Amino acid sequence: MQIAIETHEMEQGRQGVRHARFAFAAVLLSVVACLLAWGVPAYAITSISIEADSVEADTAKLRKVRAEWKLDGVVQVQADIRPAESADWQAVSLACMQPARPLPDAWQCAEGKLTMPGVNMPFSAQVVQASGKPQYQVNVRLQQASFSSPAGTQAAEKLDARLSLDLQRQAAGWQWQAMLDWTGGELYWQPWYFAKGGHQVSARGYYAGDVLRVENAELKLAGVGNARLQGSWQAGKLQDLDVDAQELELAPLYALLLQPMLTDGALGKLELGGKVGVKLVLQHGEPVSATLMLKDVDLEDKNGRFALYKLNSRIPWSYNEAQVVQLAYAGGHVLKIPLGEASILADLNRYSLTASQLYLPVLDGALSLTDISATRAGGDWHWHLRANLIPISMPALSHALGWPRMEGKVAAAVPMMTYSGGQLTVDGDLLFQMFNGSVAVSNLSMQTPLGATSSLRADLEVQRLDLGDLTRTFSFGAIEGKLDGSVKNLLLSNWQPVSFDADFHNSPGRYRKKISQRAVENISALGGAGAAAAIQRSVLRFFNEFNYSKIGWRCQLSNDVCKMSGVEYTSQGYVIVKGSGIPAITVMGYNHNVGWSDFLSRLKRVTEGNASPVIE
Amino acid sequence: MKRLMNILVLLAGLMTAMLVQAADMEVNTPAITGLKGSMKARHGQLAGFYASGAVGFTRDGLITVRDANTVPLAQRQSVNTLVAAENNDRNALYKEIANANGHPEWEAEVRSTFAQRWIQKAPAGWYYQDASGWVKK
Repeated sequence: MQIAIETHEMEQGRQGVRHARFAFAAVLLSVVACLLAWGVPAYAITSISIEADSVEADTAKLRKVRAEWKLDGVVQVQADIRPAESADWQAVSLACMQPARPLPDAWQCAEGKLTMPGVNMPFSAQVVQASGKPQYQVNVRLQQASFSSPAGTQAAEKLDARLSLDLQRQAAGWQWQAMLDWTGGELYWQPWYFAKGGHQVSARGYYAGDVLRVENAELKLAGVGNARLQGSWQAGKLQDLDVDAQELELAPLYALLLQPMLTDGALGKLELGGKVGVKLVLQHGEPVSATLMLKDVDLEDKNGRFALYKLNSRIPWSYNEAQVVQLAYAGGHVLKIPLGEASILADLNRYSLTASQLYLPVLDGALSLTDISATRAGGDWHWHLRANLIPISMPALSHALGWPRMEGKVAAAVPMMTYSGGQLTVDGDLLFQMFNGSVAVSNLSMQTPLGATSSLRADLEVQRLDLGDLTRTFSFGAIEGKLDGSVKNLLLSNWQPVSFDADFHNSPGRYRKKISQRAVENISALGGAGAAAAIQRSVLRFFNEFNYSKIGWRCQLSNDVCKMSGVEYTSQGYVIVKGSGIPAITVMGYNHNVGWSDFLSRLKRVTEGNASPVIE
Repeated sequence: MKRLMNILVLLAGLMTAMLVQAADMEVNTPAITGLKGSMKARHGQLAGFYASGAVGFTRDGLITVRDANTVPLAQRQSVNTLVAAENNDRNALYKEIANANGHPEWEAEVRSTFAQRWIQKAPAGWYYQDASGWVKK
């Protein structure tokens, strides 16, 4: 260590002590204090400087340390610092202006500035000791301070803040009281961003050994609300905590704190309103009890997948005893299917949720759920239940889903529905009674129903659908008759068909079998240019409808190609409509492999009524 | 003759093995189309951050915030959100391609193929991670 005192008349002798193992602040303060005690100003000194080649501490190394104390009150310390975990030296400097007339028992630093790579922190600080007592008041004020971590993941700009801290030495530690007022500037602390200040923390507590106790903290988050907190930390680890925050505004709370943590879940893009309250108790670092209150919360997924309105809920939780969860909402929707007002009670027992019966109105029917049991294990929910779908009318459902209006109703009896690891499996059948016939959906399972890679598997069985109703609904051109069929191994990915084996044909039995000229043209048009139907223009011109004996169509979809066939094969192709009587008409398909997307766009053109039939 | 037969058998075996083992990276399902569509739409927002070095490619086929200092504070959260959304899609894509190949267990292989492919396709000046750390292409 080198100590140099520059004066007009004399230069004091230098002594070198290298590799002093002192904490940085200790060196600075003790040397300056010693010099002051020696009464140095008597020599009309202009500046005093202290240099040390190397100072080592547990957390950092310093080199080229130079502290300078000028008579105009400026104290400046410069050094290269290397944090223990880093290989690079960084230049750091700290400057202070000490007032000409310092307060008694006070240390002041006005127009202070701490500079190092990533940190530019103008500040002023003051430490006042109550006369002769071990009692201190610390005031620090940051003015337009900025800092940034090397990767920029924690950074602040133009930060204005005030910290006041009262410390009182007690037998074993310190009694403290603090107030932090963040008045302005922006802060990014990945993943959170605070655009402006207005947030405050006040707290008091006790600090002894490695235990920090916060007895009464009050947190004010601008625009969101207040929280009360008490807790204790040992060696930097949270021991006990008691948080109570009521009447928090959910929309700003979500935007400020929750959304950044929920970016990859189903709750990542919500439009919210209403209020929320939270109580949380931790003991020995583990949660013991909690209560979540939702008050008139409106919740809407911005991707339009679900919404709940006027949601009120009280969700108490305790590690030790079972609690009753209450939840009610005025309405909402899931995948555009409207939900009616509902009120739910369930038992929450540590990590499992059970309810004997839930009744959820859906459109003009309802979903009645029984024997519900849900468990959270391994960070994932697993649940199972029995479900009954009390009939929903098809006109309402088709309207909700934006489909053409359909008559009939849908009902379901599901003896067991399970959800585990993102997979929803339904045992039992969904039964749609529609078009005077029925569609049964069985072996239904879904993977991540609300995700981007949702997939659905099912088998469909169709019985005696009224072709008249069906063709009218989809404006296909009139066909009279009844339709049977099946769709086996249906796989939808992102709600689009990937593969299936569909086989439809007219039902056995006696009924009126007529096909209109337009339907004939449309079926022909579906085949595309290369799959023209064997239709004679002359015949079409004179008749509006024809008799048929068989209609059938089979499509095995895989790899975006539909392998098509009909009711029977001929040497040229396959028969889709086989005529009977006079005038008889036969609609043929010639293409055995039809591109699925081509087929869909043709079907769209046909059902939208601007079909240009291909007749050769 | 016997040697020739042996070679032929070996070749046939190799080809079968290759046919069986090679995952089809270009396989298409509606979910894959949807994911690629959303990634393509997002790419316009991310390209500037790749070019400035704010965001770089990781070794496991994902992206990460590398140096956010060039991004104004107010935009860093949206960069972070973009990165999270992109990684979500990328993870889903690898899984979906493996599933579409009928081999969910191929996910790791799909991921490493894509990791190399992203880096190959990146223009000069973008950053990627290799065993030694960040590299500017």
